[in-house]
Amino acid sequence: MPEQPPHDSEGAVAGTGMGGAMDLAASEATTLERAPGGPEGPGGPEGPGGREDAEGAGPAAGRPRSLWSDAWRDLRRNPVFLVSALVILFLVVIAAWPSLIASGNPLTCDLARAQDGPAPGHPFGFDGQGCDVYTRTVYGARASVTVGVCATLGVALLGSVLGGLAGFFGGTWDGFLSRITDIFFAIPVVLGGLVLLSVVTSNTVWPVVGFIVLLGWPQISRIARGSVITAKQHDYVQAARALGASNSRILLRHIAPNAVAPVIVVATIALGTYIALEATLSYLGVGLKPPSVSWGIDISAASPYIRNAPHALLWPAGALAITVLAFIMLGDAVRDALDPKLR
Amino acid sequence: MLLEVRDLRVEFRTREGVAHAVNGVTYQVDAGETLAVLGESGSGKSVTAQAVMGILDMPPGRITGGEILFRGQDLLKLKEDERRRIRGAEMAMIFQDALSALNPVLTVGDQLAEMFVVHRGTSRKDARARAVELMDRVRIPAAAQRVRDYPHQFSGGMRQRIMIAMALALEPALVIADEPTTALDVTVQAQVMDLLAELRREYRMGLVLITHDLGVVADVADRIAVMYAGRIVESAPVHDLYKAPAHPYTRGLLDSIPRLDLKGRELYAIKGLPPSLTRIPPGCAFHPRCPMARDVCRTDPPPLYEVDQRRGSACHFWRECLDG
Repeated sequence: MPEQPPHDSEGAVAGTGMGGAMDLAASEATTLERAPGGPEGPGGPEGPGGREDAEGAGPAAGRPRSLWSDAWRDLRRNPVFLVSALVILFLVVIAAWPSLIASGNPLTCDLARAQDGPAPGHPFGFDGQGCDVYTRTVYGARASVTVGVCATLGVALLGSVLGGLAGFFGGTWDGFLSRITDIFFAIPVVLGGLVLLSVVTSNTVWPVVGFIVLLGWPQISRIARGSVITAKQHDYVQAARALGASNSRILLRHIAPNAVAPVIVVATIALGTYIALEATLSYLGVGLKPPSVSWGIDISAASPYIRNAPHALLWPAGALAITVLAFIMLGDAVRDALDPKLR
Repeated sequence: MLLEVRDLRVEFRTREGVAHAVNGVTYQVDAGETLAVLGESGSGKSVTAQAVMGILDMPPGRITGGEILFRGQDLLKLKEDERRRIRGAEMAMIFQDALSALNPVLTVGDQLAEMFVVHRGTSRKDARARAVELMDRVRIPAAAQRVRDYPHQFSGGMRQRIMIAMALALEPALVIADEPTTALDVTVQAQVMDLLAELRREYRMGLVLITHDLGVVADVADRIAVMYAGRIVESAPVHDLYKAPAHPYTRGLLDSIPRLDLKGRELYAIKGLPPSLTRIPPGCAFHPRCPMARDVCRTDPPPLYEVDQRRGSACHFWRECLDG
């Protein structure tokens, strides 16, 4: 350390050589002033000054900062979240009020114009029945988005509650639930749909939603159970227990936030498949029936004519793809925001 | 007496059979006293601690006998709800690896504040202020700012300080520290041990220090209990034990500490391996590895002989061992 001596001598000169006693006194005074820990407080927290400083800053730092508020702050800055949220918001708005952007009636069709391409006032062309594809795509959003969102919410809630409790408490209840999920896994979706939905006469989305929830929850339940079991084995759960946390607190505050990520991922991906499942069921004639408008009905109706009139298939299919993509992106962004290590 | 464990027995049902993890452990800790529980992995020291805290996983674990008296009250007879109120408030535990013992999705301030919210019903705002105070007390620099950070943003030593702060938040009478410095590097180890010892003095709490590090023990413990295969084989005041061990296992442990004056020579190691807990040898569990073993050791399990008033040894030949 060749630089060391000059520093030392500088201090020595200031103390004794030039200013003499006065300088010495002044420098002593400043060190004394500093010693109680006033302005240098944070550096020495054990001093009384340090304590005071910390308390002074307390209220400012005491702003609630929870997992959810942090996640929200993180999400607002994430372009992936913003784009997907805007798309979803748009979808929800047109699902509620389709007439905002489509003035026509989806059930007004003119067979003479069947399979025609785009024309003025009909930007997406006409389908096999001569109905306006643009209007039908816009009106179809309602059924598809309702089915997708409601079925996913239902599946995610039911599946994660049942699976989470089974994973947390284990034992008989867990074994019982696991066997039930096995039974549901054994039911083929299409066959189950044909059997169960053929007895339903209502032509609304709710029987379809109910059917999807019924067959879909075991998948989420298994994932939730697995991730709760994984989270349960972490030391921090035992630590929380050792420090007196109750079961409900451990489950809600320590396990749930750490186990939720896989559920979110699978649920958002499943959302797309549920919209497609509604289309499949409609195609088989057990989902929504033709006076209703849905992307699934249109896709299945247009698929035989894909070579003559691809536009009739591509527009509703494109709308479906964008919806699914938006939800997957949203799920991805939410999952990332819930992991503090990625911040 | 603050904590008295009497003849505690814990077993685990496994596929390979019943693992006898704890086979009649007896120890006492007084208020303000530090008891070091020493032993190899699998000697049952952590399981005993978990049984005392009431956080043993049951099943597969099962407490088959004994008593755990905390201030004269048998914890094993309490309802789960009553035990929960004692945990954290009157007895607390410090875990080995603070990174995994702190919840990664909650800020450290939240986790510290939770102690006050759960046990004292303090408002969130007050609890937060207390959290800052606590972090200050365990010497975390700039506590007021760092209270909002997440565990992974702290260094290992700082995290362990937070763990200590959590355990001491409600000023419990008893703290069990399960290898609190094993996951830290040596310089930080010393700081954390000093902090723990200082806080123990300040709060006059009983400390059960579980460790396999003889070096850590010598500085901070008042008494040592050495465990082997789920039993206490020797229990003694720390200086007596270091001066003259009364059990061949303890002697083996002390001889296997690297020493500067024996530099260059081969380090002594106790021959053999600790026994499988599903097949603990009959008689004295240590006899297959013991240099002093005789016929009686193979058949008769030794009781904890009283060496003197404050000392016990579970060896038939403790006198010979004591004489070296």
